[in-house]
Amino acid sequence: MPDIEAIKSEAKRLLSEGMVEVMLAFKAGETPLHPQPAFFRTPDDVDELVYSSLNQNNLATYLTRLPKESKVSMVVRGCENRSVNALVVEKQKSRDNLYLIGVPCEGILDWRKIVAKAGEAVKSVNESEQEVMVESRSGYYLVERKELLHDSCMRCSHPNPVSADILIGEPLAESDSNLAREAVEEFEALSVKERYAWFRKEAERCIRCYACREACPMCYCTECFVDHIEPRWTESGATPAGMQAWHIVRAFHQTGRCTSCGACERACPMDIKMTYLTEKLNHDMKEKYNFETGLDAQTKPPFATVTLDDKNRFMV
Amino acid sequence: MNFILEKQALPDLLQTWRANFDVYLPQNLERFTHFMPLAAEGVTVINEPHNTRIPPKALFLPMTETLVKFTRFGGYENAKHEIEPRIVFALRPCDAQAVQLLDTSFLQVKYSDPFWLERREKTITVALGCHEPCDNGFCTTVGYGPFNKADLDAMLTDLGDFYLVETFSEAAETCFNGFANASETICVQALEVQQRAHDQMPVAFETENLKEKLEQNFSSNYWDKVSLSCLGCGVCTFLCPTCFCFDIVDETQRRERVRNWDSCMFRTYSLEASGHNPRPSRVERTRQRLSHKYVYWLDQVNQIGCTGCGRCVRYCPVGLDIRSMLRQAQSLPFEVSHAS
Ligand code: SF4
Ligand code: SF4
Ligand code: SF4
Ligand code: SF4
Repeated sequence: MPDIEAIKSEAKRLLSEGMVEVMLAFKAGETPLHPQPAFFRTPDDVDELVYSSLNQNNLATYLTRLPKESKVSMVVRGCENRSVNALVVEKQKSRDNLYLIGVPCEGILDWRKIVAKAGEAVKSVNESEQEVMVESRSGYYLVERKELLHDSCMRCSHPNPVSADILIGEPLAESDSNLAREAVEEFEALSVKERYAWFRKEAERCIRCYACREACPMCYCTECFVDHIEPRWTESGATPAGMQAWHIVRAFHQTGRCTSCGACERACPMDIKMTYLTEKLNHDMKEKYNFETGLDAQTKPPFATVTLDDKNRFMV
Repeated sequence: MNFILEKQALPDLLQTWRANFDVYLPQNLERFTHFMPLAAEGVTVINEPHNTRIPPKALFLPMTETLVKFTRFGGYENAKHEIEPRIVFALRPCDAQAVQLLDTSFLQVKYSDPFWLERREKTITVALGCHEPCDNGFCTTVGYGPFNKADLDAMLTDLGDFYLVETFSEAAETCFNGFANASETICVQALEVQQRAHDQMPVAFETENLKEKLEQNFSSNYWDKVSLSCLGCGVCTFLCPTCFCFDIVDETQRRERVRNWDSCMFRTYSLEASGHNPRPSRVERTRQRLSHKYVYWLDQVNQIGCTGCGRCVRYCPVGLDIRSMLRQAQSLPFEVSHAS
């Protein structure tokens, strides 16, 4: 775990020196399982800052909700840093208006997995590098960290922030970026028919609450295609056609933009798997264009790039 | 009437009911439980220590429902839904209470919703009281409770190897026909369990004058504070057992007019055709959600429109907690309003 006091003192410095107007981080929630995203505006506010592996959201989703010109600091993990870069590439925020406090990330703990292990009424969660101690109504549970990691975090290959202004804590070992393949391998091994059955089973549980969209830093369109009325692009209801259209198009809009943070899956109230689709697209981007989202704040995603020698001449 | 139902006898009883009813009860779906019709070899999962993820309101107000079908040449006919007699088994008291609250909207004297009405008339509700209250719920705080009996046909109290079944309607009595009557001692024992569960639940916030405080601070920056990290998704409202907003849409390709769940937390919900939005940001939308439950329901039917089921607390993706929001409202300034 990084030194929380070091994060806080840097945050306080930034606010007291007026380098930023707002600090995006987490504060303790009402229950131990749900720390809340928080906006700190004064050095004193920062006393409430917490950092733990239960911080389940990708804070970059709030960047596009703040005034574009505001000076913002954020505590970023590996994926959050890459999302910030992707937003900078898409000109949603100027890098000059950002100050990133980077923290090497040991992975997010999935509260649903914690509840599945420890049962109702979780009172406290204490983590170390290898293990997590959970206290619930029914007693104490010592669980290996790996068992509680969110699926996306198990496959993470870039846990370290790539372009933080200051890094707090020692960088962790990067792992094989083919790890992310695991999410799609199982799916790809199936026949076309089986794949469709899998997709349908996941998509058709959807209640169209759009928590996945709101939790995603890259879903910042003022008007999402599903909300568009004239013309209407998809069926509006919780019907198979409507839900499948939502899942397909959402995933496609992420091509070359998704950073595999898994925030969509963590927000979903219906436990719907979504990353098997986005990871497949991410893998294609890597394989065909040697592109990974957000590794820097300059490189445009392949599908946002047009060159004069494009082999599809109609593009130019 | 009070009956004894041995836990062992439950699977057979549910199967017997299947002869005459669709039996809906919580069953496993992924990592949560969901009300689904029991199959011939179905398993019962009623021991989860809290309510189902999607509330049973969905059994009365489906997420998407066809209201009208259009014919090719300009005509139309009202949709018909095959609604079989049903038993909804092991719903929790907070959710049963919510169905009663929704009746006040869907079954008004002048206008009643025919689909809601038919489903209600054909449904027998058998609740499972919460002898070990759930973690995030706060039913007692809002005036209900883990053994709240409002608007039920029957209620089960877990007493170890068996349930005490209290029936409140003839229909329910028939369902438990043939089971042994419960003795006085057992009824007293059940009362103790019920009381203990009730007392176990902490007071989450004070409700006294809460309505006045929220109402009189309509323009306070309290709303900015409590809505700051809200994502504006539909989780808290779609999963809420008392939220019933809907949208009516013509699916022209299918030539159907459908009713879909909608949410006051969505931008498009209050967006007007002119482009004006009277609730332009998450601040106003959060105010609407809380005020509907803790102000407007009281104005309309004199009941709090939240049953304390705890779903919005448990599933909000950013940990926004209505209990803490309302606790913060406690310190808002207000004047006692004098009824004229
Ligand atoms: S969060 Fe889940 S249920 Fe909600 S719209 Fe996304 S996939 Fe559907
Ligand atoms: S809120 Fe009350 S009635 Fe509802 S599940 Fe929890 S204890 Fe039971
Ligand atoms: S579930 Fe949480 S984030 Fe979503 S609209 Fe409700 S309060 Fe906001
Ligand atoms: S407002 Fe929240 S606690 Fe109250 S009934 Fe709705 S979901 Fe349950």
